[in-house]
Amino acid sequence: MSDIKRWAKALTESADSYKKYVGSWEEKIGSFLQFDPEAAQADSSGQGLLAVIPFGVKDNIAVKGFNMTCGSKILENFDCPYTATAVENLQKAGAVPVGKMNMDEFGMGSSTDNSALAETHNPWDTSRVAGGSSGGSAAAVAAGQVPFALGSDTGGSVRQPASFCGVYGLKPTYGTVSRYGLTAYASSLETIGVCAETAGLTRDVFKAMRGKDIMDNTTVEYKPSGKDDVETVAVLKAGEGDLNVDVLRSYKTSIARLKDLGYKTVEVELPTLKYVVPAYYVIATAEASANLARFNGIRYGLAAQGAETPSALMEETRHSGFGDEVKLRILLGTYVLRSGFQDQFYHRAQKIRTAILNDFNRIFESADALMMPVFPTAAFRHGSSDLTQLQQKAADLYTCSANLAGLPALAVPSTIEEGLPVGVQFMAPAFEEERLFRIAEKLEAVFPAQKPEGYSQEWKA
Amino acid sequence: MKYQSFVGLEIHIQLITETKVFCSCPNNFGDEPNTNVCPVCMGYPGALPSLNEEAVFKALKVSRALNCHINEKAVFERKNYFYPDMPKNYQISQFEFPFGINGYFDLELDDGSVKRIRIHDVHLEEDAGKMIHDAYQSRLDYNRAGTPLLEIVTEPDLLDGREAELFVQQFRQLVRYLEVTDGNMEEGSLRCDANTSINLPGKGLGTKTEVKNLNSSRFVNKALTYEIKRHAKVLDKGDTIVQETRLWDEGSSTTRSMRSKEDSHDYRYFPEPDLPPFRPDAALMARVEEAMIELPNDRKKRYEAELKLTSDQAVFITAEKNTADWFEAVLAAGADASQTAAWLSGDIQKILNKEGKSIEQSPFTPERIKELFDLINSNRISNNIGKDVLQAIFDEDRDPSAIVKEKGLEQVSDTGAVEKVVEEVLAAHRAVVDAIRAGEDKQIGFLMGQLMKATGGKVNPQLAREMIVNKIKRSE
Amino acid sequence: MDKNELFKTAALAKLKLDDEEADKLAAEVSAMLDNFSAMMEADVEGLEPTTQTLQKENRTRSDSTGSSNLSNQLLDRVPEREDRFIVIPNVM
Ligand SMILES: [Mg+2]
Ligand SMILES: [Zn+2]
Repeated sequence: MSDIKRWAKALTESADSYKKYVGSWEEKIGSFLQFDPEAAQADSSGQGLLAVIPFGVKDNIAVKGFNMTCGSKILENFDCPYTATAVENLQKAGAVPVGKMNMDEFGMGSSTDNSALAETHNPWDTSRVAGGSSGGSAAAVAAGQVPFALGSDTGGSVRQPASFCGVYGLKPTYGTVSRYGLTAYASSLETIGVCAETAGLTRDVFKAMRGKDIMDNTTVEYKPSGKDDVETVAVLKAGEGDLNVDVLRSYKTSIARLKDLGYKTVEVELPTLKYVVPAYYVIATAEASANLARFNGIRYGLAAQGAETPSALMEETRHSGFGDEVKLRILLGTYVLRSGFQDQFYHRAQKIRTAILNDFNRIFESADALMMPVFPTAAFRHGSSDLTQLQQKAADLYTCSANLAGLPALAVPSTIEEGLPVGVQFMAPAFEEERLFRIAEKLEAVFPAQKPEGYSQEWKA
Repeated sequence: MKYQSFVGLEIHIQLITETKVFCSCPNNFGDEPNTNVCPVCMGYPGALPSLNEEAVFKALKVSRALNCHINEKAVFERKNYFYPDMPKNYQISQFEFPFGINGYFDLELDDGSVKRIRIHDVHLEEDAGKMIHDAYQSRLDYNRAGTPLLEIVTEPDLLDGREAELFVQQFRQLVRYLEVTDGNMEEGSLRCDANTSINLPGKGLGTKTEVKNLNSSRFVNKALTYEIKRHAKVLDKGDTIVQETRLWDEGSSTTRSMRSKEDSHDYRYFPEPDLPPFRPDAALMARVEEAMIELPNDRKKRYEAELKLTSDQAVFITAEKNTADWFEAVLAAGADASQTAAWLSGDIQKILNKEGKSIEQSPFTPERIKELFDLINSNRISNNIGKDVLQAIFDEDRDPSAIVKEKGLEQVSDTGAVEKVVEEVLAAHRAVVDAIRAGEDKQIGFLMGQLMKATGGKVNPQLAREMIVNKIKRSE
Repeated sequence: MDKNELFKTAALAKLKLDDEEADKLAAEVSAMLDNFSAMMEADVEGLEPTTQTLQKENRTRSDSTGSSNLSNQLLDRVPEREDRFIVIPNVM
């Protein structure tokens, strides 16, 4: 019986020991905001490639039967009346959503510490963060609570926690997976993505959930070139000033492994890389300022009491409902769109977006895929002692470029450095996810992902 | 007035569609509050807009009818401001690349001359919900939220209130012709904001003010006339106009300032990331072209020139598309244009008004009316009996020939029978006959009346008249 | 960014800020804006802006009504209502 089929026991013959196993990890890492294997079981087809396989869903993705809090007080008790298309597609393939995963409020953060509702810790070292914003999703997969969990990747929010926790993390090509049901943070940048325990499962989940959707007008036909095999991998040049010692060591190991596996490598640079973080934050916050305007205490969610005017109702609801990081980004986004400032910020950022796209196109003219670091550090400690919020943002440079360009990227577990996993990411032209899976599988066959202490599959026996 | 005035209009029309512009909720009015709502139009987290193809088609139809340049790439944008009736607190609209730009509308003025009014743009957007206010609270109904609105913006090419009123009337007629809106101003399916400025001749535009939400073309005229006078008074005193938004108060026939901080709006438009740009292709534009039926003004001109209708008749018949379409259907059935026009603007309209029915839902089918004309023109019934038959068609929903036959309304044209009645009438009114003989010809009418009375109007009038004249003159 | 500009921006975003919060946010916003100024060095001459990445074809939906009606469930989630109306403080 393949390993994925054994997961079907979690909701059938081994249900009790499964729940016990999930519970024992929950005390240590707090990856779930809600865990309820029965809540939506009836909505799954019960048959298909992923029949009765449990999975987690980041709490900014709609699943009927569960709440959708987005890690925010403003939606703390919001009982979601509908289901996201991507989740529905997985339910058709038989998979069962068993819970909602903790996250940085509205996806804004790199640590999951910005959740207003719960704390999540890294399964490898609970004094450290699981990464973010899909920290709950990555932590749960790393701990073996679920074989896979959906996340959302706006600037690296699937790949960075996947790397921090030692699991696979896919950000698909923009427009291939419907965003219908994904609470919008930055609409033109983000996609639903997946954290999974193996490269093969990442592929299966991606195939099951993707598809053109009438409910999301930005979804497109899936049209890969058909050239799935990778011969040449471009490797982004990175040195001491770019990565910390542990990550640089790991990155060098990854390059060596690629060569060992017979890939032709070529070192490249991305001239635009130094501008991507500001461009990313300008576009992301601008879109967020509009996307988060709908939370105003009138139709659902938190509502301030005793307000005497509609304006007061909206202002007070938003004042008490949003956390600091969300307010900061709404203010920034509002500011960069104000008349008089648009050219300087928003329009310029979009031109930089074109420049990074051109950079990638140039690289893919002579390489089938591109390897880059995921993040300059491994999982950092809670709080700001390792990295301030501002430093955390600056560290998004390797991940957010894929979002600006709409390209697929896969974070792959690579080495363990000082007891912490470090991943590396591969990027490919649009629709060429298969190339990423093939590289990952080749690496996986020789260097399988390692597991944190306490990880067990005994409950499946 | 020593000043020159400039008037521009922003007109919103509610498009007739089955569903809302970005979701599949019904686009219906008068339903229970908050029944036609879904996660999309209630601004739920995670919900996304999905563009209605029919709304796009109608937007293009209007753009084309207003002679606009159709943008190669139409882009939706978010217009950001907070208001409780707007679920997402941004409106999906168009700004830099709307469906149509740089068009014109040929406005017919009171003196019959034509003035070309430039159209700045035609853009598609979503409507807001409805609010009902009382002293303590406001009640919200989002049934209207997300229904398709088309906004038409003119350049400030109109001179004054009267021209603006004419524009609204003729524009309304156009969009009703295009069957994109019902154009009902009281119910808000056609809403008008009017802006105006004045200046000394040759000095260009002045500082403008805008009057919001005018719900009849008459109010458009009155509000603008008031505003232009008010501006002139302010300038005469040497003061300056404050650029602001004002409201028309029908009770006092004045405008007043909305004095709101809303004036400091900064809408922060940016391209809607959830909708790809729309590029109208050749196939779609061919469909739009096909839908460019003859527009009301052209139709009116054709009726006057080719069908020789009077100007009044042509105006009346082309006022509503369904009337003109019906008129042409009667002609297609073989009827004469002036006869049809005369009956349509006369007795037919009278009956429809009285009964409160539109022509296409009445029993007056083009075939029946043609048949009625045939009965009259072949002298089988008189014109007057024809009027009774018309009413009977309406009342009984039957064909005129059946009515005439069953009620025995066929007119008597048999010479012997007519002669008999004529002799009876002449015998009964000797004094009148004498008077006619003495030259009082107009008394013939009296005898005709008596004759019709005696026969229930069924006698062929020409024949009877001839006979009366002959008998009186012959026995001279 | 000074506090005045911050409050102006906050008003547009319907965010109420207390004074303490405003001081902290003004500093953070300023730091980010400084960060953004790095973009000024980028050579963007002649580049078209990118607002979306792969959305090249027209997408529309046919004009027919959906089957499921969630309106009652949506109303159940409304904080303040009266029958089928959603109620808020008076707008006037
Ligand atoms: Mg508008
Ligand atoms: Zn709807």
